[in-house]
Amino acid sequence: MNKFSLVAIVLLYYIPLDMFFYATETCNHVRFWTWNINIIRDKMYKTKGNALHKVDSLLSDGEVIDSSTERLRNLSKQGGTIIGYLYPHTPIELFLAHGLTPSLMRVDPQMSAGFEDSLQTFACAFTRNVYSQRAHGGFIDYSGFLFPGNTCDALQNVGDVWRQRFSEDTVLRLTYPVSPRSESTVSFLAEEMRLLSKALERQYGKSFSQDEYSTAVSLVNSFRTGAQFLYASRIVNPETPSYRELVGLVVDFMVAPVEGLLRDLDEMVSVAKSTNDAQGKAGLVENVLQGLMAGTPLQIHIEELPEHTRLLVLGGMVDPFNLAELVDGIENATANVIALDMLSFSFKSIFTPTVESSNNPYISLAKAILGAPLEPTQEGLQRRMAFLRQLLETHIFDGIVVCEQSFCDPDEFEAPSMYRIADEIGIPSLRLPIDPELSDRGRLEGRIQTFLETLEEDK
Amino acid sequence: MSEEKAYRRLETSQLLQQISFRHMLEAHAASEDGNLTWITSGFPVEIPIAMGIGVVYPEQYAAIVGAQKVGPDICGLAEEYGYSNELCSYARASIGATIKPDQSPLGGLPRPQALLACNNICGTVLRWYDAVSELTGAPVYLFDTPPIDDEQLPHHVAYVRQGLHKLVDFLAKKFDTTMEKENLRKVSQYSSDAIRLWIDSLEACKNKPSPLNCADRFLTMAPVVSSRGKDYCVEFYQALNDEVRGRVKDGIGAIRDERVRLLWDNIPPWFQIFRFFNGLAKKGVVFPADTYTHAWSGKVSGDDLYGSITEVYSNVYLNKGLEAKADKMVQLIKDYALDGFIMFSVRSCKRYSLGQMVTRELVTERTGVPGTIIEGDMVDSRLFNDAQIQTRVEALLEMFV
Ligand code: SF4
Ligand code: SF4
Repeated sequence: MNKFSLVAIVLLYYIPLDMFFYATETCNHVRFWTWNINIIRDKMYKTKGNALHKVDSLLSDGEVIDSSTERLRNLSKQGGTIIGYLYPHTPIELFLAHGLTPSLMRVDPQMSAGFEDSLQTFACAFTRNVYSQRAHGGFIDYSGFLFPGNTCDALQNVGDVWRQRFSEDTVLRLTYPVSPRSESTVSFLAEEMRLLSKALERQYGKSFSQDEYSTAVSLVNSFRTGAQFLYASRIVNPETPSYRELVGLVVDFMVAPVEGLLRDLDEMVSVAKSTNDAQGKAGLVENVLQGLMAGTPLQIHIEELPEHTRLLVLGGMVDPFNLAELVDGIENATANVIALDMLSFSFKSIFTPTVESSNNPYISLAKAILGAPLEPTQEGLQRRMAFLRQLLETHIFDGIVVCEQSFCDPDEFEAPSMYRIADEIGIPSLRLPIDPELSDRGRLEGRIQTFLETLEEDK
Repeated sequence: MSEEKAYRRLETSQLLQQISFRHMLEAHAASEDGNLTWITSGFPVEIPIAMGIGVVYPEQYAAIVGAQKVGPDICGLAEEYGYSNELCSYARASIGATIKPDQSPLGGLPRPQALLACNNICGTVLRWYDAVSELTGAPVYLFDTPPIDDEQLPHHVAYVRQGLHKLVDFLAKKFDTTMEKENLRKVSQYSSDAIRLWIDSLEACKNKPSPLNCADRFLTMAPVVSSRGKDYCVEFYQALNDEVRGRVKDGIGAIRDERVRLLWDNIPPWFQIFRFFNGLAKKGVVFPADTYTHAWSGKVSGDDLYGSITEVYSNVYLNKGLEAKADKMVQLIKDYALDGFIMFSVRSCKRYSLGQMVTRELVTERTGVPGTIIEGDMVDSRLFNDAQIQTRVEALLEMFV
């Protein structure tokens, strides 16, 4: 039996029950697309643990992307309105409040990185990949695209090029302040979001619903809270859950923020909690969590941790699931060596503070977004480096891996500071020039493998 | 025909050397007094000058590095330090010269006490200044002017204006100084006068023959970038304007035999600024306008100076979208009666360059004149393929025969 048949059988087995279950629920839109989008993943997770491991391990990375795209296609067929977004700190709650589905446009490793007639070769690898997907018709039927403004020059200009080249597309823009949270940045971003909300209403004829907003806030807050715990827990127990499982779920949530994923998350949390309890590490995990959330030193010592190679992965808009897949593909290696990443579509999104309820949703959302760990696109190199220094000074990481996405100014400006800090503290570092197509995969694998071997020898 | 014969040298160039020298001396003195800022070209310089704080421009310094043809060496110093060779070469040159001033032209820039970045020209400046801050210990003030899509909306105005007030607070605290309104008015007046004379000199190029060529403008723009707000800057532009208007009156062109009038888009390749433009001058090609030097055209004026600064510095050319860039090019082509255009796709500068293929099509569609794109860099000559560029330019020129 080939892997596709196996997936099909697993699906068929669960779909009828699933449909029945959701058809009986009030069809608010969150549940509506839970029913639509989540068919495959939800059902694969039902027999938690085994089915998930089994199916994921059967799929190559390209197929994982295909399956999430398939889920979105289904949603689109059901009349869902999907808005693709590119920047990690997108107010997904706002889209949900309008009855729209915000969906992260992931890079596609299978995409041939041809340079279109419209983009020079020095557009960053991330934007080129996404642009190529659009140019080659590889996308699902998005009803609109949200570009961020004022984050980096590549996204700023590619958004403009997109508007011209794909004039049939609805291209929206949400402009961010570059500076961290303050009264003026919060008001600016809040007003940007209010205007975006008006634009969504005009464009899609769907007004902002307070009920939908509250449901969305609770969904996103719950997801973040659970995932934050798992990020902290993995520093102590990097295999529970595996890096791949965790970031797979996080990325899934960004592609389709559905309620069903909370169940999967809850299960991961409960397994992790049991493991921590059994080892007497619950308090330690709690300390780590508090440190990560507040950006303060982690109360942890290497002697308290089970023996394991621990890497800290740094970088910006690198797809964490693709990275996991890369490391898992290396002989004698597993992505579980990544005890923590600080990537944009992973840690930096998940550690966004929860959205507080208030009379003004735009202010609440702006406060949360601007309270997230700082991106390399933002002001605050010193603060970011101070946090990194704190993390490395715990000496719980054996090495750092710095992902530099090709032609990404923010990544490439930040990386030297990271190497310097690691060097000062005496922690080995690996520079990983990377692009979404993993075009130099053999060399990347070789570098990681050699790095891991060196770390092992040094232990 | 020798290069001198094809191209007429500006008398005002001599004054330019004096003003540049004076600017550098002032910067060194300010640094020694603990009173120097490094600032980006799009920064509202009127503010630090009015507060009695010295300024110097790393972008201009990087252009000197380029012009002295040591770009690869100085950028290489930053690369050895870990900065990717894919980054902006202005940033790399400045970082390289900060790391090893003794190996850099003019011994590097004098040490700054603060770094003032305005992201109205690109996002790179913030990261570049953060890197310099790590090396020098000087704090960065970022004046955030988010890009504008169409018009500047009220919340945008309010946000930028708040940033301006915070800037004044930052400088007052850091340099133990105050902002006197009268000083700001005086400095703004000098700045506006210099810009008025500068714009008039640029507009004189609508005449045939054009009194200035690209290289003239790229060199004589230095004071309007670095010294606007100073009295001697006004004097310089008065002298330039007199010479330019004199040329117009006498029917004297920047090149001797003007046959083709082109628009230049983007920063020039500093390492061969004369070779490139004089080479074309020999073929009768003049550039009466370019998008780069026309970017310094906003005058700070009126009763509400903070409001004026907010508006001028938010609405600079590079802070607007691709449509606005195309509009500007179309306007210049019409106003200056140009036959075509050359777009320099500068690898360093994504904000300026990404999207040029689309702009080229839009501009040709709207004006009917042809254009070509050549690729390279403004400082890092390793990225400049002479032969390929010549071929592209030749192909464009053939269209005018
Ligand atoms: S932050 Fe980097 S990777 Fe992301 S869009 Fe900008 S340049 Fe590309
Ligand atoms: S990226 Fe462009 S605008 Fe920014 S500093 Fe470099 S050359 Fe100047």
